[in-house]
Amino acid sequence: MHGVKRRQWTKELLRQKRSNDAMKISNYRALTEEGLTLKRQGVINWDAFDKTTEILNLNPEFNAIWNYRRDLIKALENNLPDKFWGKELSFTLETLKRFPKVYWIWNHRFWSLKRCPGAEGSKWRQELKMVDKILSLDARNFHGWHYRRTVVERIEIAEQTSLNQQELAFATGKINENISNFSAWHQRANLLPKMFANGQIENERQFLKQELDYIITAMFTDAEDQSVWFYINWFIQESCITSRWTKQEYQNALEQLAESAVAINEDEREFSGKDNSWCLKILVIIETIKKQKLGCVENEQRSELLQRLIAVDPVRRERYIYLLNE
Amino acid sequence: MKTDELAKSQHIQYIKALDDKKDDYEYWLTEHLRLNGVYWGLTALCMLNAKNTFDKDKIIDFVRSCYDSSTGGFAAFPDHDAHLVTTLSGIQILATYDALNTLSEPEKLKTTEFIKSNQLADGSFQGDRFGEVDARFSYTALSSLSILGALTREVVDPAVEFIKKCYNFDGGFGLCPGAESHASMAFTCIGALAIVNRLGDLSSAQIDQIGWWLCERQVAEGGLNGRPSKLPDVCYSWWVLSALALIRKLEWIDFNGLRSFILKCQDIEKGGISDRPGNEVDVFHTIFGLAGLSLMGFDDLVSIDPAYCMPFSVTEKFKKYPY
Repeated sequence: MHGVKRRQWTKELLRQKRSNDAMKISNYRALTEEGLTLKRQGVINWDAFDKTTEILNLNPEFNAIWNYRRDLIKALENNLPDKFWGKELSFTLETLKRFPKVYWIWNHRFWSLKRCPGAEGSKWRQELKMVDKILSLDARNFHGWHYRRTVVERIEIAEQTSLNQQELAFATGKINENISNFSAWHQRANLLPKMFANGQIENERQFLKQELDYIITAMFTDAEDQSVWFYINWFIQESCITSRWTKQEYQNALEQLAESAVAINEDEREFSGKDNSWCLKILVIIETIKKQKLGCVENEQRSELLQRLIAVDPVRRERYIYLLNE
Repeated sequence: MKTDELAKSQHIQYIKALDDKKDDYEYWLTEHLRLNGVYWGLTALCMLNAKNTFDKDKIIDFVRSCYDSSTGGFAAFPDHDAHLVTTLSGIQILATYDALNTLSEPEKLKTTEFIKSNQLADGSFQGDRFGEVDARFSYTALSSLSILGALTREVVDPAVEFIKKCYNFDGGFGLCPGAESHASMAFTCIGALAIVNRLGDLSSAQIDQIGWWLCERQVAEGGLNGRPSKLPDVCYSWWVLSALALIRKLEWIDFNGLRSFILKCQDIEKGGISDRPGNEVDVFHTIFGLAGLSLMGFDDLVSIDPAYCMPFSVTEKFKKYPY
């Protein structure tokens, strides 16, 4: 089980657990038996609905019970009590707080929001605040980021607007809080091509210069973390970026990055006596680009870097050998 | 028992006893995973060359009892609802026992229709009628149809287009277009492309980038993580390795480091493998730890097909698409 510590069960501990479990099991089995019987019989009433709440509180992974709950809501939709949807949304929020990684809860929340009445724009704007909160508790929550993109899309459709600027600012904020937040770097790399294509970057040259400074600062902040390096690899090869540079500017940007990588690596060698593998990896990529895209003459440096990588990062040696033989 | 050996007989005992845990509350809380659990257990036993540990007739009866005749799909348990993921588990178990013919032709046809009816206009698949879309469901749909020998161009071509859109700049795949790369999606997307014989749609530059991202999942402890800056977890031994095997770059990770991480996650007394050293074991991590070892050719395990996560001896009988 993900993240559950293994315990040594002595006879006494096991006896205690069994006697605790016996009560829980008989309660749970009786409850689920009732719920599934109602479902099988196609019973549609509020008692059945309450039964689903009871079961899902104990086990939010019970997808068949979520399904039954949705069928009940659909069938009872013409007679929903006051504030029904508000309560339904608090129910999923409370459940998500306890189980932030259960797909079924996220799905049910999304389904509920699609279905509940209210102005589309404000409904989803409100929801975006909820996502902010979830991502402030766990800035890498995979479901949270996915859900965020879905909610943003809803707002954009409802209001015929683009939230790219706002979302770029959000991603920047998350990166500034923690440079290793790859979810935010991913978001950034997703947004920029769209923003360039839609003319949403005001001063493109200025932006590219700032972005280069930004990633160089990030390199120096945590040179061990791969998030930044994967982003840099994208930045120096992605056409929405490179097509906006003259050949000279492209070359200068690569030189600037290479100098920084060399400087970081020198520090590392002084400190630990070893190369920083990420600096070497990016230097290999820069050498390859210079040869393939900028027509620079090949020098010995690329193979030398790869040899050093074999020494410093032996677990991935076969990849470096592959690159050497390319 | 030494910690650097695979505790085979304990793992067999652990899997054999999975259905005897009815005194544990957790047993009842996981009923919604029962059919998947049977597939995980059976496949793990196959790799351990102990397929006969389970009572075949009992298992086939159970699988049959999960068949939902109103939709044609399989549920995780009788009276639960059919879903694409559990439908694949049902089909995999029957295929492993060479017992697909326990489904009548009309029943099989209905299963095929159920799967196809969940394909959406953009080629993606929803898991069931409630509309959740995820590349996992593309995989389960294509794998199921392949095992049933029921793939068609009408299904495959749009499905492949969708999967290709899940590819990200870093070399990973997301659960839908625009979603962050996750190692489990490398298996589902690359596995699905392999099953429909469309790996050739990926450029060699993409393949190199995929290989790079995947081999960077290996951390200092030897284990593999699912995303950058995350802890290693045994299940990625399968999600990452299967994808690397399919693009023929398996050796881009360090086998010995990974093996020793997996072995550290064993409960060498009671059997079973956990996500990380010192954690509670479960059948999910047990199969994926064993499958990782099998792909690397360790410990004399029966070899497993990286596209289907079933023994080659079973998958070699499948009709290969395009027919």
